[in-house]
Amino acid sequence: MARKAVILAGGQCKWGVREAHLVDLFQEAAKICLDDIPALKPKNIDGLIVASSYAGRCSFQVNTAPVVAERCGLKPTSICTRVDVLCAGGSTGIILAKGLVESGMADIIMVAGGEKLYTPQKWEVFYSELASVDHDWDGAQGMGLPPPFFALTAQEHMIHYGTKKEDLASVSVANYNYASTNPVAQMQKALTLEEAMNAPTVVPPLTLYDCCPITDGAAACIITTDEIAKKFTDRPLVYIRGTAQVCLNSVSANFPGTHLADWKHTKIAGEKAYSSAKVTPNDIKVAQTHDCFSISEVIEVEEFGFCKKGEGGQFCGSKQIEIGGKVPVNTDGGLLACGHPFGATGIRQGIEIMKQLQGRARHQVKDADIGLTHNLSGANAEHTVLIYGRTPVK
Amino acid sequence: MAVAGIPILENLYPATMDMWPIEAKEFNRIWPFYENLKQGRFTTTKCKNCGHVAYPPRVICPNCYSENLEYIDLPKKGKVIVFSEEVRGVPLGFESPLIHAVVDLGVDPVRRLLTRIVNCPAGVLKRGDEVQLSVFEIPAIPVEKGKAGTIMAERVFFAFEPVKK
Ligand SMILES: [Zn+2]
Repeated sequence: MARKAVILAGGQCKWGVREAHLVDLFQEAAKICLDDIPALKPKNIDGLIVASSYAGRCSFQVNTAPVVAERCGLKPTSICTRVDVLCAGGSTGIILAKGLVESGMADIIMVAGGEKLYTPQKWEVFYSELASVDHDWDGAQGMGLPPPFFALTAQEHMIHYGTKKEDLASVSVANYNYASTNPVAQMQKALTLEEAMNAPTVVPPLTLYDCCPITDGAAACIITTDEIAKKFTDRPLVYIRGTAQVCLNSVSANFPGTHLADWKHTKIAGEKAYSSAKVTPNDIKVAQTHDCFSISEVIEVEEFGFCKKGEGGQFCGSKQIEIGGKVPVNTDGGLLACGHPFGATGIRQGIEIMKQLQGRARHQVKDADIGLTHNLSGANAEHTVLIYGRTPVK
Repeated sequence: MAVAGIPILENLYPATMDMWPIEAKEFNRIWPFYENLKQGRFTTTKCKNCGHVAYPPRVICPNCYSENLEYIDLPKKGKVIVFSEEVRGVPLGFESPLIHAVVDLGVDPVRRLLTRIVNCPAGVLKRGDEVQLSVFEIPAIPVEKGKAGTIMAERVFFAFEPVKK
């Protein structure tokens, strides 16, 4: 019988400004991950995929995987490596782990993502972001920190589709309120529309709560096959049904859409993932989309087909992303409120979907059986989508 | 120039902390782009095999993988499609206001060029305004040249600025 990949367990350490070293954060996440599945021991794990983009710059540590393996007491024999796709590193680790366990090249893989971004002097955090985009072309134009790019994106969405600032603010309100009871989120405060509308300006039209914070943190999950998972758990199995990773541009000059609010690459990634998972947008009961900025979530719900192109503002503004809405989105708080330690984010999203599909999420979506996760990375340079389900693809 | 906390780096150049491109011929095969920029020219590479014009310039044609490329001039004037202004919290290395614009230079592949707008106060730029290339000096870097010793490699970079009406 064909081997089918499942997400067996997962855990996230406290995210925020952490008084800890990068490898401390990985150890915390690994422990919380294995605490989620008491029958599984470090010795059972034969593979490790580490997702971290800033280990090299902020911790002066490349070749990170062996260091993480050693500190976490893992002795991988199938795979021990690191991936760097910035914001999509964790999701990429899960995609690779799926391929490895389904092919039989590995049995039980820990995918662990983490970043330690805050350095002893704060300027370096921001300055180092010049490495997140095309350094020589976009970085040298002052595009290292993403708010200007997403401010342009928001403006073009407003120009072409009539989206309002209130629509953006409604995304921040929904996601902050989801996170207000999440003990590992960076931001744990309830937010009102009025507060969001009156927040300090970052780059117009974006204000404080439209932008995700800079975050230290780590998360880890276990990817294995359904048959192996059954030996360790009685919980419902959560299958990784389909995946896609689309890269059509790196430099902002070659953006694939007709304008910055037209995310063709996102749409292609969604369609490819839907087709490999044999589902349609209507099947998605819960989603974790990449809300690095409020405007991102507005555009993503359009490109993934939860509403028509151009109606994302209205969709979010009319509470369709909240519990009871058409597709609850970022039910643990998303990037806006959980924070965004790049390599860990996709794992955080996968864990939330796993919990939703197992009926043990904090903000539980009733009868959730299919869920989607999504990351965009860089200057809107790449899109990564995973679709999880309670049953495998037939 | 001392480096706080790391005295061994005094007077040394850490390339890993440089916000600008390393443009010198010894380190960059698209150095002609920067040399042309010093002459006030905004250029990119065109494939002599298939005719494809790529931006940014590169060392192979992304369309046919030919290495037979030539530098051609791009327009130096264009119109602002949309822009953003950051007044507070501008990152280290840039001055307030930090203005970005999507600029239409009128030809492929630079009909929607994302660039910085300089020499422009906050609150003045409008959609549709005409902007032009602005070339400026950036810090020279010390490059070790074997027996010739260390030379200072001069550098320039570019943005766009409003055309004076
Ligand atoms: Zn060619």
